[in-house]
Amino acid sequence: MATGHHFTVSDYVNDDASYIHRGVFTDERVYRRELERIFSCNWLYLCHESQLQKAGDFLTTFMGETPIIVALGHDGKLHASINSCRHRGLPVCRTDSGNAKRFVCPYHNWSYTVEGELSAVPQEKYLQNPPDKSSLGLKKVPRLESYRGLIFGSFNEHIESLDDYLGDQKFYLDLYFNRFPEGIEVIGEPHKWLLNANWKLPVENQLGDVAHGPYLHNSLIEKDSDAVHEINNHGLNCVAKAGHGAALRFMPEDSDPKDIAWGLEGFGMVMNPGMEQYLLEVQKSAASRIGEIGARCKGLTFGVYPNLSFLWSNSTLRVSHPRGPGQVEYWSWWVVPKDAPDDVKEALRINYNLLFGPAGMLEEEDSEAWTQQYIGSRIPDARDQRYYYGMGLGEDGNHPDLPGLVGSCFNEHYARQFYLRWRDEMDDIDKINVE
Amino acid sequence: MSTIDIQLQHRIEQFYYREAALLDKREYQQWLLMLAEDIHYVMPSRYSPQRDIEKRGQESFLALKDELESPSPATAPMREENIFTIALRADRAYKTNAWGFNPPARTRRIVGNVMIEVSENEKEYSVNSNFILYYSRHRNDNFIYSGQRNDTLRDYDGQLVVARREVILDWNVIEAPSVGLFF
Ligand code: FES
Ligand SMILES: [Fe+2]
Repeated sequence: MATGHHFTVSDYVNDDASYIHRGVFTDERVYRRELERIFSCNWLYLCHESQLQKAGDFLTTFMGETPIIVALGHDGKLHASINSCRHRGLPVCRTDSGNAKRFVCPYHNWSYTVEGELSAVPQEKYLQNPPDKSSLGLKKVPRLESYRGLIFGSFNEHIESLDDYLGDQKFYLDLYFNRFPEGIEVIGEPHKWLLNANWKLPVENQLGDVAHGPYLHNSLIEKDSDAVHEINNHGLNCVAKAGHGAALRFMPEDSDPKDIAWGLEGFGMVMNPGMEQYLLEVQKSAASRIGEIGARCKGLTFGVYPNLSFLWSNSTLRVSHPRGPGQVEYWSWWVVPKDAPDDVKEALRINYNLLFGPAGMLEEEDSEAWTQQYIGSRIPDARDQRYYYGMGLGEDGNHPDLPGLVGSCFNEHYARQFYLRWRDEMDDIDKINVE
Repeated sequence: MSTIDIQLQHRIEQFYYREAALLDKREYQQWLLMLAEDIHYVMPSRYSPQRDIEKRGQESFLALKDELESPSPATAPMREENIFTIALRADRAYKTNAWGFNPPARTRRIVGNVMIEVSENEKEYSVNSNFILYYSRHRNDNFIYSGQRNDTLRDYDGQLVVARREVILDWNVIEAPSVGLFF
């Protein structure tokens, strides 16, 4: 690109998103704009309802770079507020989770209810004109909605309902989140780690990049294995709505239940052959909850725009919290079918923490790829070499049974759709309605 | 400390030095021989919980164990491994296509503060030690891990093996790309 040329979003992402500029992952001004236009305007995943059970239960998280307290209020409702005192900005909550009536700010001890109202200002008795407490609550996240227990928040008051935002992605989310008789629960605290990569790299990988499996992970996943053949033969990338994604195996109608039951693949089975019985039992009734078509879908990776991912076989939800163009704080939660016996849960956990999470053998290769892609994206003399995102261009279309645009698992349309939406939002001035 | 204790202390420290040396020399196959076949190797995750106000003023107010998610059905530890999964990791290091190990890990382990407790079972020792592990990956991609190990060492026909190891790292947000190394 010649110097002096004014860079626009079309230079970053071309019209069919078959070429993506390296600056998408590295440029400071892109990043600043993303915070405003992507993170402040969309629905962002906060937590799962199983993490907040009693009145006063709270946890802390982030929406983009904004620290958030999510709490189940004493009024029985969910509340999310910015974790920053209205007096001088200190965080009023300093723990990852707990149960409280109030948060007391360290600096001057203003205290706030878990719902976010300012309840006491210790200095007020010495003042003739005490502050108006009713106007000095923590800044609230104006919109909170949930789908199948997944709680999302948005700073965009005018955003469409979460239901519309997800659209047909609900069909794909249901494959897991509605598959089990008692639903699912998140267990324990999230694993959190910092990676020197742009936040979109883990997102993109888990939106549908199944094709890298036997290559990047060849030391664990052999190209000629049954699992890889199954993906090659039945794997699909489904985009219900631009920005979301679902990679799955759509198994033939006459499949053996063992080949389509959730969770029967992976190390967990080696550790506890007893789990087969539970999972086959679930499979028997799966169609009653998610339909015959749904029960034939065996997921791989899912994503909800902009930064939530879910890994099917590995029982993990993750959020990619941005920390500047070159860093991401990656959070990863372990999730399980609620009604699974303890030993089945523990066996399923092997599929998570042995392969994914900060100690995961697969994920340490993924994170290596993301950090190296970030480094590659910063090479000064390669700035004119845009990345090729065109694999499978024009090869996706409607599917007789599955919603959205469907392509093979080698089709990168999930990423093209993501970046087209991203491009739209980055350019759409009207989207900014956050002060 | 009696003479026996000093000998035992020496023996166990030498065991750890040898272990660290093998790992730093990337002789993982030799290192596997220092583990019991029924080894239980865990790494709890660590978070910042709300403290129990009832315990304020007492040491238990800050109990380390309250920050840990050790393996139980209701927690998400970072690692819980057996000899099979540890060997799987070890084998990967010698493959050409295990990209986390390419270039191979440059590591330096310093083990210290070795404290031994003789358990009821004469053939087993509970040993706490601290470590600093320096890890250099690509070019200038360098990381420092610090933590504690709570081991059960078993005297197996005059040879020590690690029968149980709990690794406690000192991070809340992990600042390294992987905690899948051998600690
Ligand atoms: S900064 Fe919070 S009370 Fe002063
Ligand atoms: Fe991967």
